[in-house]
Amino acid sequence: MRLIQQAKQKLNIWVLLSSVFILIILLPTMLVAKHFFAEPNENWLHIKEYLLLDILSNTLVLIILTGVLTTIIGVSLAWVVTAYQFPLRNFLKWALILPLAIPPFIGAYTYQGILDYTGIIQSTLRNAFDIHVDQKYFDIMNIGGAVFIFTMFLFPYMYVITRSFLANQSASIIENARILGGGSVGTFFRIVLPISRTAIIGGVSIIALEVINDYGVVKYFGIQTFITAIFQTWSGMSDLESAFKLAGTLMVVVILLLLFEKFARGRKRYSYSSTKIKPITPKRLTGYKATMATTYCLAVFSFAFMIPFIQLVLWTFMTYEKIVTVEFFALIKNSFFVAAISSILIVIVAVIISNYTRIYQGIYTKVIAKITVLGYSIPGAVIAISVITIFVGLDKYLMSIFSYFQMDPIIVFRTSIVMLITAYVIRFLTVGYNSIEAGFEKIGNSFTEASRSLGVSTVKTFFKVDIPMLKGAIFGGFILVFIDILKELPLTMLLQPFNFFTLATKAFRYANDEMVNEAASASLIIILISGICIFFFHKISEKGSGQ
Amino acid sequence: MFVQIKNLKYQYSKSAKAVIDNFSLSIKKGEIVSILGESGSGKSTLLRLLVGLEMPSSGSISINENIIVDRHHFVQPEKRGIGIVFQDYALFPHMTVTKNIKYGLKKMSKMEKQKRVDEMLSLISLTEYQNRYPYELSGGQQQRVALARALAPAPSLLLFDEPFSNLDAHLQIKIRSELREILKHTNTTSIFVTHDQTDAVALADRIILLENGIVGNELLPSELESSNYMLKYRTGLRI
Ligand SMILES: Nc1ncnc2c1ncn2[C@@H]1O[C@H](COP(=O)(O)OP(=O)(O)O)[C@@H](O)[C@H]1O
Ligand SMILES: [Mg+2]
Repeated sequence: MRLIQQAKQKLNIWVLLSSVFILIILLPTMLVAKHFFAEPNENWLHIKEYLLLDILSNTLVLIILTGVLTTIIGVSLAWVVTAYQFPLRNFLKWALILPLAIPPFIGAYTYQGILDYTGIIQSTLRNAFDIHVDQKYFDIMNIGGAVFIFTMFLFPYMYVITRSFLANQSASIIENARILGGGSVGTFFRIVLPISRTAIIGGVSIIALEVINDYGVVKYFGIQTFITAIFQTWSGMSDLESAFKLAGTLMVVVILLLLFEKFARGRKRYSYSSTKIKPITPKRLTGYKATMATTYCLAVFSFAFMIPFIQLVLWTFMTYEKIVTVEFFALIKNSFFVAAISSILIVIVAVIISNYTRIYQGIYTKVIAKITVLGYSIPGAVIAISVITIFVGLDKYLMSIFSYFQMDPIIVFRTSIVMLITAYVIRFLTVGYNSIEAGFEKIGNSFTEASRSLGVSTVKTFFKVDIPMLKGAIFGGFILVFIDILKELPLTMLLQPFNFFTLATKAFRYANDEMVNEAASASLIIILISGICIFFFHKISEKGSGQ
Repeated sequence: MFVQIKNLKYQYSKSAKAVIDNFSLSIKKGEIVSILGESGSGKSTLLRLLVGLEMPSSGSISINENIIVDRHHFVQPEKRGIGIVFQDYALFPHMTVTKNIKYGLKKMSKMEKQKRVDEMLSLISLTEYQNRYPYELSGGQQQRVALARALAPAPSLLLFDEPFSNLDAHLQIKIRSELREILKHTNTTSIFVTHDQTDAVALADRIILLENGIVGNELLPSELESSNYMLKYRTGLRI
């Protein structure tokens, strides 16, 4: 009796909707698991024997080297900007986030274009100084080059996370370190790195997931990874089984990574207590030290943003007459359309799930929240092949129904944009959810409870109280998802309908066809829009948290 | 009895011990009861159980002979007709004073709603502030709006969670007597919980002492001054 009563109380619109969404998110993983444990075919045995070790070692090398380099660069920048006052600091503090606006694959072909035989550096050396250099010094199309690209365009994740962590630390830790002596470098290694451990682990795992997910950089540089192998087996050989086996193996890597994160983080959670802490006051640097700080930050900013950005602007000037046509505007329209629709859907789903996990507590709710957050760790290519498989199945099912009634099929999912949008929702729900969840956390439960005590149902409360109060978080979530989708490559490559391109896939297509200059216009639009969004988003959220 | 609480028990899933244990209480129509207990004794939890924001593990509650919780029933908060004024008021920040007060009014014509809001506004003497937003009001004014909002739908039972803790001392004294007058004037059955015995003495018809979720003594306000509890409570505070 009591069970039924409890069940009745727990069964409501929020549970139902959330459960349906979670099931949709889980589908790809379940499909991958099913195929992972299925009988292997010959091709897979071949891949396993001759390719898998290479793939695995490439992936690990990329993750580890990028992880180490982004940590050194990201944390040191965060520390310099937090603890010291030097010329241009206020500008650089923001500017160092901007490299996030450049998707790594765009950075990759831009740098390749800068460095190759006809690029600006070599042609200047040849024409102005008559210097002919060995090509091997300018070759970045290898693992080292890929690590450089990933580091340059992913380090801001580390920078942002560590900086906001350090900003919340009490000044006394740092001041004590200073009083106890030891130079700046000593303080950095003995104090700053250890206390930032949680932030660093968080940053590393985000960056590792980005590296794992990447298709553009490794494909362009010709490095074999899980993702390129999935593309080959799937599109090249139409070998669904092996593609799923690769996806399954990759998911094992991802799960190990997440476990590593969980254990490395440990139980220690540095809570942001509400007690007033005295924030670190930046110490004014003078003389050569000030010059060094400015130079360091400027150098990173130049390599990670300014140089590729200027190069892209130049290329755009060279090619825009040929590129910017009616078709190009259709491309922009496409990109914005799919990104906007998907972002709106994601925000709606995220609001529903987070409202549910907030109002009703218990194990089931916790599981739902966890799964929602895990969505982002599934690589885009893995989501893509699962979603195709599901939609092909759906199509077959519909076909049989239609043919039973002797009708022509009205819809074919497999080739429609519905499939692409579904996959975006699965992949980027986490991003929207995190933003909206944080918004709910900020407003707390008391307004909703007050509303219910005044006789208003949860659904009505949702529209009259929760949504209006969440406007900021909803908008923030929308923007973050929107730019992520605008930049997305692997998933879009696999799922875009015939003759449908987004700015990202078009740019990649050009670059991959040795038309690097032509790729610039589309890339520049992605970068400008993402850059503006990122800048304002961080500016606003920093203001909101009262710093 | 108008309100009947019988053997109520509640335990947070994370904690080892019941917060509310075997709590019983009966209240007459129109009576103002104060529940006095130290911080952490389970006062807020008790109110959440009454409103329906938590589900008791056993026990029953009925109001006016209607069961709202027992082994077989659980009436959702929005269906209970119990009003609550939270410690932090929880006024909707995106609504004006008028909109806040009107929020809980249902099954009324527009005219009737407006009439009720006007009544409430004059009751709390904030008529000229009706178009302000909560953040444009002082703490005392916010508190009165929260009262008006809870009172407007004429709840069968009105609960207060430490209603004065966010107010300056001189305001507390003024608002206490105002509040008692309003509650008596509208004949609203009320429970308010507090850790401050002067509040309890000034407001209540009857005082219940709550210790670790269990009903201790029951007193009249006049008795509290001289009771042992007072002594214990004061020494407790000093330590
Ligand atoms: N959500 C919760 N989960 C677990 N324990 C809680 C929760 N809320 C309150 N408690 C515990 O229940 C006890 C009573 O809390 P509460 O009802 O808020 O007391 P009071 O309002 O009298 O200060 C406290 O010991 C508190 O720590
Ligand atoms: Mg309390």
